[in-house]
Amino acid sequence: MQAYDAVVIGAGNGGLTAAATLAQKGLSVMLLERHNIPGGAATSFCRGRFEFEVALHQLSGLGTPEKPGLLRMELDKLGVMEDLEFVEISDLYNVVTPDGFRITLKTDRDETLAVLKDAFPHEKDAIQKYFDLVASYANDMIGAFIFRDPEPSREKYPNLYKYALQNSKEILDQYFSDPLLKAVLSVFWGYIGVPPTRLAFAYLAMVLFQYMEFKPFHIKGGSQALSNAILNKFLSNGGTARFSCGAKKIIAQDGKIKGVVTDDDVEISTDYVVSNASPLSTYNHLMNPEQVPEDALVEMKSRNLSTSALTMFIGFDCEPDELGITESTNFLMDSTDISNGLLERMNRLDIDDELMVLSCYDVSDPGFSPPGTCQANVVTLKYGEPWLRIPPRQYHDVKFRCAESMLKRIEEIYPGSRDHIEEIEVGTPLTHMRYLGHPLGAIYGYEMLTKDSLFFQPSRYSAFQGLFFAGGWAGDNGFEPTLRSGISAAKSIIRRLGAG
Amino acid sequence: MRKGIWQEFDGYQDIAEEIKVSRKLGGTVSCAVTSAEEYIRQLHPERIELSVTDIIEETPSTKTLRLVSKDNYLPPFLAGQYIALFLEIGGIRTSRPYSISSQPNQTGFYDITVRRVDNGLVSNYLLDEVKRGDTLVSSGPSGNFYFNPLINKKTMVCIAGGSGITPFMSMIREIIECGLDRRVYVFYGNKTMDDIIFGSEFKRIAERFDNIHYIPVVEEPSGGYAGACGFITRDLMKEVLENIEDKSFFICGPQGLYDFCLPQVEVMGVPRRKIKQEMYGAPPNIWEYPGWPDTISKDDVFNVKVKNGKQMEACAGEPLLVALEKNDMVVPSLCRSGECSMCRVKILSGKVYQPPGVPVRKSDRQFGYVHSCMAYPIEDLEILL
Repeated sequence: MQAYDAVVIGAGNGGLTAAATLAQKGLSVMLLERHNIPGGAATSFCRGRFEFEVALHQLSGLGTPEKPGLLRMELDKLGVMEDLEFVEISDLYNVVTPDGFRITLKTDRDETLAVLKDAFPHEKDAIQKYFDLVASYANDMIGAFIFRDPEPSREKYPNLYKYALQNSKEILDQYFSDPLLKAVLSVFWGYIGVPPTRLAFAYLAMVLFQYMEFKPFHIKGGSQALSNAILNKFLSNGGTARFSCGAKKIIAQDGKIKGVVTDDDVEISTDYVVSNASPLSTYNHLMNPEQVPEDALVEMKSRNLSTSALTMFIGFDCEPDELGITESTNFLMDSTDISNGLLERMNRLDIDDELMVLSCYDVSDPGFSPPGTCQANVVTLKYGEPWLRIPPRQYHDVKFRCAESMLKRIEEIYPGSRDHIEEIEVGTPLTHMRYLGHPLGAIYGYEMLTKDSLFFQPSRYSAFQGLFFAGGWAGDNGFEPTLRSGISAAKSIIRRLGAG
Repeated sequence: MRKGIWQEFDGYQDIAEEIKVSRKLGGTVSCAVTSAEEYIRQLHPERIELSVTDIIEETPSTKTLRLVSKDNYLPPFLAGQYIALFLEIGGIRTSRPYSISSQPNQTGFYDITVRRVDNGLVSNYLLDEVKRGDTLVSSGPSGNFYFNPLINKKTMVCIAGGSGITPFMSMIREIIECGLDRRVYVFYGNKTMDDIIFGSEFKRIAERFDNIHYIPVVEEPSGGYAGACGFITRDLMKEVLENIEDKSFFICGPQGLYDFCLPQVEVMGVPRRKIKQEMYGAPPNIWEYPGWPDTISKDDVFNVKVKNGKQMEACAGEPLLVALEKNDMVVPSLCRSGECSMCRVKILSGKVYQPPGVPVRKSDRQFGYVHSCMAYPIEDLEILL
């Protein structure tokens, strides 16, 4: 029987960084991935002369070499930075509505404040106060959690205690009266996957603060470049990877991990497993659910699956400025509703006035697509469940119908763009489910309701000795959290092995 | 739940109550997970077991195999898509993609139409060995060569050569049977009249349906043929098509067809976005391609060492994927034309020749990955599967 110090199941962001961190410490590691390529959602695919980025919109936590963010420090330690090239995105985001409203928020705080105050003069003071709140909230959060204050208190961190668990809409309502301004300032709810009515202010504040402080980035070659670079480091540190071969079974005995059986029935003995798969498939499919402690099953069942997404990948036969696309990240907004009406929209098949984000990487990285072309990744959030109601034979029709509605919206905002489309591919919640293996295509893992937010998650810890979770199911979602989650899982194993 | 300062945060009591209730009642997690997996299998099964229920002789060198699913379910597809057959022939496990020539509304079977390729391992096997009642295993439908209502014009100009007609047959059958609002011009090139597949069906359809126009073009015509001769030229196309503005162009056939017809279409002023090109497998004459090293002959043999695996010999003129298959190393494959990236492998040392235009991801190039169905050894290699 083969034996490894650790087996990592799944080569998504979390699995990759876990494997690379373990191998760097000289541990013997087997990485299993059922797909033929590493990355999970952090990947790309080719159509015609385009290579489409699948998932990355704005990479957070990188910062600059002079002022590094946490992610840069971690990637640096892994030794992958020299294989990668990052491009800073100058805009925080742009919001466009069909009636001609357009506002571009830059990552520079003062610039953004000025732009907002100019566009919403009647809310001038409130805007200043709100941004001050975000800043002081973030400082509290950093003091208490990042620097791990051993004696935190309400007196030291008043904003943290007061606002962390409040829902974002309440706070926006307290500060502002203009619905458009509230909608403009809350678009990042889409990056977490829950509408402002259910989104802990902790998230909305930190996402905004993070991007302003450490800037959003794009990766040359897309997120696949990052996935390839981490895998490459893992391999050169002696790691073993098997692609097109997943795990069939995790063997546990008396609450301890004993080994893994691969899809092709190879038995591997190991005391440590990092699962980059969901706890749902880990506990239900890879393990015998009867072996799983009741409490872990109750915890798992108490949660909701996040939303999925309808995504369009569009290759245009012209430069972005010819289409009127001047910023990298564009929120196409047709409604200023930030109430639970957003949930209704996410729960229906058809597309009407949903919020959409259109990312055009070529704006900040002109070499991303071939000369004289550009690409857009357009997303709107949709739950997976309604898609299961479509008879399979009607699936393609519904997919095209939904994409058609999205295209109409894009055409309204960027007139003439439709006549420049050379390639187009549509990913539905079922596509996400097929390629990621996430139940119901839940792109963000568990739904990030306040009750399941960072403060209350079991994160990487499992009900088994030797089993750790990594990736979007093990905590917060997005590139930075998932990449860092794998490193945390690996560190837990390294500590237990005394290999630190 | 872990203990922490958040238990003192404003609003914590409400959250604690929510956690209690949701642990008692359960969230959405347990619902519909298995049914969702089942749904995906109905759209994209990994494998389909098929019975050959009929074999139809189309031309002296071409047969249609009619394939029925063993579990009576065939996933839906878009006209123009293909399935890959997974076969073991003479001890070699391999695969081949075939466009489905039957129409998507025909839910009882898939037809694939196979033309004999000189020395073709798989085509000869399918044409000579496979009998009615035999079992074949395939992938689910795949591929990007289909009419896309989001961007394609309602008038399609289809340019086909030889067995490249099969995806168009599927499209046209669907259009007439489902009454789709589309107009089609099929320019169909063949060397001799004997090579024409579906000739009489096309003629019949074109006579009955105003929206289907069939223009056969024969390179070496024989007795009594009154149609167009030679190649599919822009003059011929201009003569038939009133304008090009409201039309989308689709092209499928052997490399020679692309080499000749693509420039003809481009010269007519058709922008690239309106031309869709199907892939057509690895070329039989890779050593004649631009960039092929002068010093290498197609019969040169190199050593290929698979890391942690076998060592083998591989011919320069043959794709790396084929060499691997001949040595019983099975790499996943689907399109075998460089496009789908299923057969991606990493070159650890040595060089391969990759014909221009194979879509390999930028960062895959950076880290030495190639699509082994379109990579030819031109030095001794070490590879990682």
